[in-house]
Amino acid sequence: MTAVTTAASTRRIAWTRRRRSLARFCREYAKSRAGMFGLCVLVLAGGAAVAAPLFISAHELSAVYAPGSPLRPPSARFPLGTDGYGRSMVAVTVWGARISLTVGFLATFMSIGIGTLVGITAAHFRGWADTVLMRVTDWFLVLPTLVLAAALASVLPRGVTTVVVAIGVTCWATTARLVRSQTLTVESRPYIERATALGAGHWHVMTRHVLPNVMPLVLAQTTLIVSEAILLEATLAFLGLSDPTKVSWGTTLQLARQVGAVSAGDWWVLLPPGLAIAAVALAFSLCGRTMESVLNPRLRERA
Amino acid sequence: MPRTPKHRRLATVLAVATACAALGFPAVASAAPADQSAGPKTLTIATNGSVDSLSPFLAQRLLPTHIHRLIYDFLTNYDPKDDHAVPALATSWSTSPDKLVWTFTIRDGMKWSDGKPVTAEDIAWTYNLIMTSPDAATGNGNFVVNFKSVAAPDPKTLVITLSKPQATMLALDIPVVPKHVWESHAADIGKFHNDTQFPIVSNGPFILSGYAKGQYIELTANPNYWRGKPKFDKVIYRYYKDSDAMVEALKKGEAHFVSPLTPAQYNALGDRPEITRNKAQGKRFYALAANPGATTKSGQAFGDGSPALRDSQFRRALMYAIDSKTLVAKTLGGYGEPGAGYLPPIWANNHWKPDAAEAYTHNPDKAGEMLDALGYRKGADGMRTTPDGQPLTLRLFGQTQRVDDTQNASYISEWLKGVGVGVTVSMMDQGKLADVETAGNYDLAFDSWSTNPDPDFVLSLQTCAGRPDTPGASFLGDTFVCDATYDELYAQQITEYDQAKRSDLVKRMQQQLYRGAYVNVLYYANVLEAYRSDVIGSMQKQPQPNGMYYPQDGYWAWWSATPATAAPKKSGNTGAIVAGVATAAIIGAAGVLFATRRRRAGADDRE
Repeated sequence: MTAVTTAASTRRIAWTRRRRSLARFCREYAKSRAGMFGLCVLVLAGGAAVAAPLFISAHELSAVYAPGSPLRPPSARFPLGTDGYGRSMVAVTVWGARISLTVGFLATFMSIGIGTLVGITAAHFRGWADTVLMRVTDWFLVLPTLVLAAALASVLPRGVTTVVVAIGVTCWATTARLVRSQTLTVESRPYIERATALGAGHWHVMTRHVLPNVMPLVLAQTTLIVSEAILLEATLAFLGLSDPTKVSWGTTLQLARQVGAVSAGDWWVLLPPGLAIAAVALAFSLCGRTMESVLNPRLRERA
Repeated sequence: MPRTPKHRRLATVLAVATACAALGFPAVASAAPADQSAGPKTLTIATNGSVDSLSPFLAQRLLPTHIHRLIYDFLTNYDPKDDHAVPALATSWSTSPDKLVWTFTIRDGMKWSDGKPVTAEDIAWTYNLIMTSPDAATGNGNFVVNFKSVAAPDPKTLVITLSKPQATMLALDIPVVPKHVWESHAADIGKFHNDTQFPIVSNGPFILSGYAKGQYIELTANPNYWRGKPKFDKVIYRYYKDSDAMVEALKKGEAHFVSPLTPAQYNALGDRPEITRNKAQGKRFYALAANPGATTKSGQAFGDGSPALRDSQFRRALMYAIDSKTLVAKTLGGYGEPGAGYLPPIWANNHWKPDAAEAYTHNPDKAGEMLDALGYRKGADGMRTTPDGQPLTLRLFGQTQRVDDTQNASYISEWLKGVGVGVTVSMMDQGKLADVETAGNYDLAFDSWSTNPDPDFVLSLQTCAGRPDTPGASFLGDTFVCDATYDELYAQQITEYDQAKRSDLVKRMQQQLYRGAYVNVLYYANVLEAYRSDVIGSMQKQPQPNGMYYPQDGYWAWWSATPATAAPKKSGNTGAIVAGVATAAIIGAAGVLFATRRRRAGADDRE
C-alpha cells in the first residue's frame, strides 16, 4: 500500500461522506414546506431573469420604440399596464429582476467574503487582532446600515457597481460575529490541537479545518443576507442613489414616484415591482431559515 | 447580537409588503375641507420650498423671493394681463434725453404696517445699501450694477442716475424696506435674516405674521394696502414632504392650492368636481446644452469637453437627430410645447420661432449626412469614429432631482445611437452636476432656467462676460457660450428704450443662439396647478388667459383671490380597483405573516 493510494482512498472516503451528508441535507430540506416554497419562488424568479433576453426584445425596453403610450392601465395587450415610457410593466418587472438579483447576489458575496475573513481571522489569532477586528465590527453593527450605504452611494460615482460596493461593505458585521463564534467552537475541538501538533500552519488550519466547518453556517447566512441586499438595493434606487437609467425594481418604483403615480392612483406601476421585491426577499428568508435549521445541530429535530 | 436578527428580517419583509400595498392607495378616506363659514378666511398653499433667508437682501430661493413680492411693494409691478410695467410705489416716471437720469414720482399716502409713512427716502436708502454693501447685494445686486447714484430730493421724488443707459429700469425686482426699521441692521446686513420679530414691518398686500422653519409661513392681509385689502384674511404656506403628500392634502381639503403637479397627478385630479385645474404656459425653458469648449473670460481653455462639439455644424447635426415633439408627448404627457427659441412663448413680445428652413426638424437621415460630411464615418458596428479614427462617444449628464432628465436621457441616447453617436448617461445629484459643469468636464447636459418678464438676465447668461473668471471658478451661467454677434446685439438691446425695437434685437439674439446650437431648447413645459373651488371662488392668472397662479411676477393671485360662496362639498372616494388591490395585498401580507409565524413558533419550540 503506497502513500498515493492511501491519499486517493482517503479522498474517496471524504467525497462519499460529503455526498451522503448532501443527500441527508436535501432530504431534511425537502421536509420543510416553507423551504420548498421559497426555493420554488427563487427558481422561478431566477429562471425568468436568466431567460429574459429570450422573450423580451430590446425594442420592448427601449424608450423611443416603446410599444404603448405612457402610464396606461392594464389591458389585453399589456396585462400589467405600461410604465412612464409606455413599456409593458410585465417586461419591465421581469427585466428588473436581472439587476435586482445580480446586485443582491454580488453584494452578498462581497459582504459574506469580508465577514468570513474577518470572523475567522479574529477567532483564530485572538489577542490584539481579535480586539481590533471586533471593535471595527461593533462599529459597523451599531451604525445604521442604510445611512452608511446611502452616504457611500452618494459619495461614489452613480452606478450599479457603487450600489454593490455600498451594500457589500456595510452588511458584513453580523456574518463576522457569527463566523467568529463558530470558529471559536471549532478551534476548541481536540483535532485542531492535534493538527497543530503535527505541524499545521495558520493557513492550513484556517482553510482546511475551520472553513469547511463554518461553511454551512455561512451558506445559510448568505441566503438571509441576499434578501437584505435586495431590499437595500431597492431602497437605495428608490432614494435616487442608483443609476436611474438601468431597469431594476427599485428604479421602477422611484420613477413611478417621481412621475406622481402614487397620488394619481396608478397602482399598476407600483405593485408589480413592489410585490416582486417582497416575494423574492421572503423566498430568500424562507430558504435561509430552513437551511439554518437543517444545518445547525442545535435547531435540528431530535428524532 | 449574534443570532437574533431573524425577527428583524421578517419584520423588514413584511414592512415592504405592507409599504408597497400602502403606496398603491394612499387615500383611503377623504375628509371634508375645513369649515370656512366662521372665523377668519384662510387660504392654505401646499409647499416644500426651502427658505434661505427672509431678508430681502439675502434671499435667492423661489419661495422667499415670492413671499417678498407679497409683503413688500416694489418700485413698479407687472400687469397681470400681459406683464407690462405698471405703477406700484412709483405712479409715474420720466427719463432725461441722454437716457441716463430716471425720475420717479412716488405714490402719496402709503404707510408701513407700523403706521409710519412710506417715502422716497426708504427707496433711496434700500438701493444705496445694495450699491455700497457687498453683503446687501447678495440677492439683487445685479439690478444696481449700472447705478451711479440714487437720491430722494423730496419724499415724493426718486432720482436714479445711471452710468450708461439701461432698458431694465422698469423691471427692478428689488423689495423696498422701511429705513427706520432696517437702519440698525445695516452693519450686520449679511447676517440678519429678518426673522427675529413678527409681524415683519412691511407695506405689501400681506404682512408676514408667523414663521416656523419647515412647518409653515403665515401671512395676514394688510387692511391699509393702497390697491385694496385682500379678500382672504390669512394666507398660510404649509409644508409637505413631497408632491404626493400635497395632492393628498388637496384632496382632503387640508391644502387649497397645489403647484406644480406632474402630468399623471393632473390627469388624476380631473374627475373631481371640487377641484379646479389650471394648465398654464410655463416661464421655464428646458434645454440640452452642448459644451462648445469651456473657456474663461480671458479665453483660456479648460475642461475635457469633446473636441467634436466645438464645431457648430456637428452640434447642429445632433439636433436633427432629436425629436422634441416626442419628448413633449411622452415625458410631459402632452403638457408643453416643443422648443426652439430661448425665451418661452409665454412672453409673446420676445418669443422667437425659427422658420421651416432653419428649424431642426427631426430628420435622422439629414443628421447622418451632416456627420458623414464632417468625416465622422460609420464603422462596421454602426457607430461612428472621429476623423482621426477614435471612437466617438459623448457623455450626457442630468440631475436625479429633475425627473424629466432621466426620461429624456433615455430618449436622447437612443436617438443619438441611432445616428451612430455613442452616448454614456450619468445622472447625479444637483450639486455634483454643478461641479462637473463648472469644471467644464461634460459634453451634453440638461439645462433649465426660469425666465422673467424682462429677458435681460437670462440673455446675459450666454454672453462672453457670463463665463468664469478663472478655470473651474463658479459663475452665473452653466454653459460656455461666447459669440461675438450675440454679444454685440446684447449690448444694443440693453440701451434700447423703445420696446418694439428692443424686442426685435432680443429675437435676433435668440436666432443667433439657435444657429450656433449651443443651448438647444427642447421644450417649454406647462405649469400644472390645482385648487379647491369650494374654498377659492376666483383668482387672477398672470398673464391672461394662459398664465399661472404660482409663481407670478407680482402678488395678483392671492391678492385677488375671493372666498367661494358655495357650501363645501364632500370629496369623492377612491376607485374600486385600488381598494380591491389593497385588500388583496393586505390579505397576502397577512398570509405571509401567518405562515412564517407558524414556522418560527416551531423553531422556537425546538430551541
